[in-house]
Amino acid sequence: MIAVRILIDVLVVIGLYFALAGTLGILKMPDTMCRMQASTCIPTLGVLCVAIGGILYAACFLHSADNAVKIAVVALMILFTNPIGSHVIAKGAYKADRRGEKKIRLNPDDYGRDFNE
Amino acid sequence: MQKTRLSAVLATFILCMVVWVLITWSFTVQELAAGVLVSIATALFSSRFFVHGDSYRFFNPAKIFSLLGYSVTFFVELVKANLDMAKRVYGGCKAVNPGIVKVPTEMKSDYGLALLSDSITLTPGTITMDVAEEDGKNFLYVHWIDVTAESGEQAGEAIKGALEKGTRRVFD
Amino acid sequence: MIELLICAIFFALMALSLVFRIAKGPTPADRMVAGDACDNLLCCAMILFSMYTGRGIYLNIALVGAFLGIIDTMLVGRYLEGSL
Repeated sequence: MIAVRILIDVLVVIGLYFALAGTLGILKMPDTMCRMQASTCIPTLGVLCVAIGGILYAACFLHSADNAVKIAVVALMILFTNPIGSHVIAKGAYKADRRGEKKIRLNPDDYGRDFNE
Repeated sequence: MQKTRLSAVLATFILCMVVWVLITWSFTVQELAAGVLVSIATALFSSRFFVHGDSYRFFNPAKIFSLLGYSVTFFVELVKANLDMAKRVYGGCKAVNPGIVKVPTEMKSDYGLALLSDSITLTPGTITMDVAEEDGKNFLYVHWIDVTAESGEQAGEAIKGALEKGTRRVFD
Repeated sequence: MIELLICAIFFALMALSLVFRIAKGPTPADRMVAGDACDNLLCCAMILFSMYTGRGIYLNIALVGAFLGIIDTMLVGRYLEGSL
């Protein structure tokens, strides 16, 4: 039992590390697209490690299959729906950026070359 | 817009029922009857958007095992990309060189393109922005945080080298 | 199991620090990215707090947050793209 507790604590701390990486990335990256790239750390390894730790805790200490299955549904839902929203926001941010005055500097810009307005 | 087919309604109904049972997790008769009614209504409205092509694709055990194998491959790529992004953030944010590259891909079907571009978006460091088709080949426009490749083929090898093999094994 | 509560408080503090980016962010896309990340962090905090108290009622809040978080993101994204 003590080994399972240590495993749960290690998983939660790993999740905390990657969530802190995503948060600091959002706060201090230079432009919009880079902030979006850094924020992808939070729903992947941050949520996933915390959810695995929670499933182990609910199965080994609380003995409730209900809570374990519900945590798994939350984690899978975040993991499946996050790329769709991220893709839509990235496309919208690019279009809104090209309409503005001060543009983001992109080193190769194949998308703007093929679809310039 | 395509017509509503019985097989597509059945596949969507099974998925909705599985999600209902997982969320409520109670096996009394009243709850299951309410779940069946809600699932049939949802499947009748949404199956024509949800299923294109063969409806019984995932009733095949070989496809399910290849999907499990693909998830292992994807998890390894995810951990590597996450460590890279964490090093980039904690190291002071100096080493960013963003750009949008155009990457050729071999995938043909809609589901394969959706799975591949979602996997690329979910790894930190790359975001798929658009899919375009030019004379029979499909191209992905990918925003990449550190552009190190010269041409599109090298960029494709660096971004989706291991992912595309697994994706082709699941779909196509 | 006091460490679960401490980690939940850390997740909530990170979500609180993202309010700075929501208030300052130069473009609407910045605000939306920070709000989405805030939603995911609060889901994590809800999972840990529910495991600390041992009651499943907090998991339902996390479930609703995870299901509805996608809709506002897609709405704002479509509006920025100009196709709404």
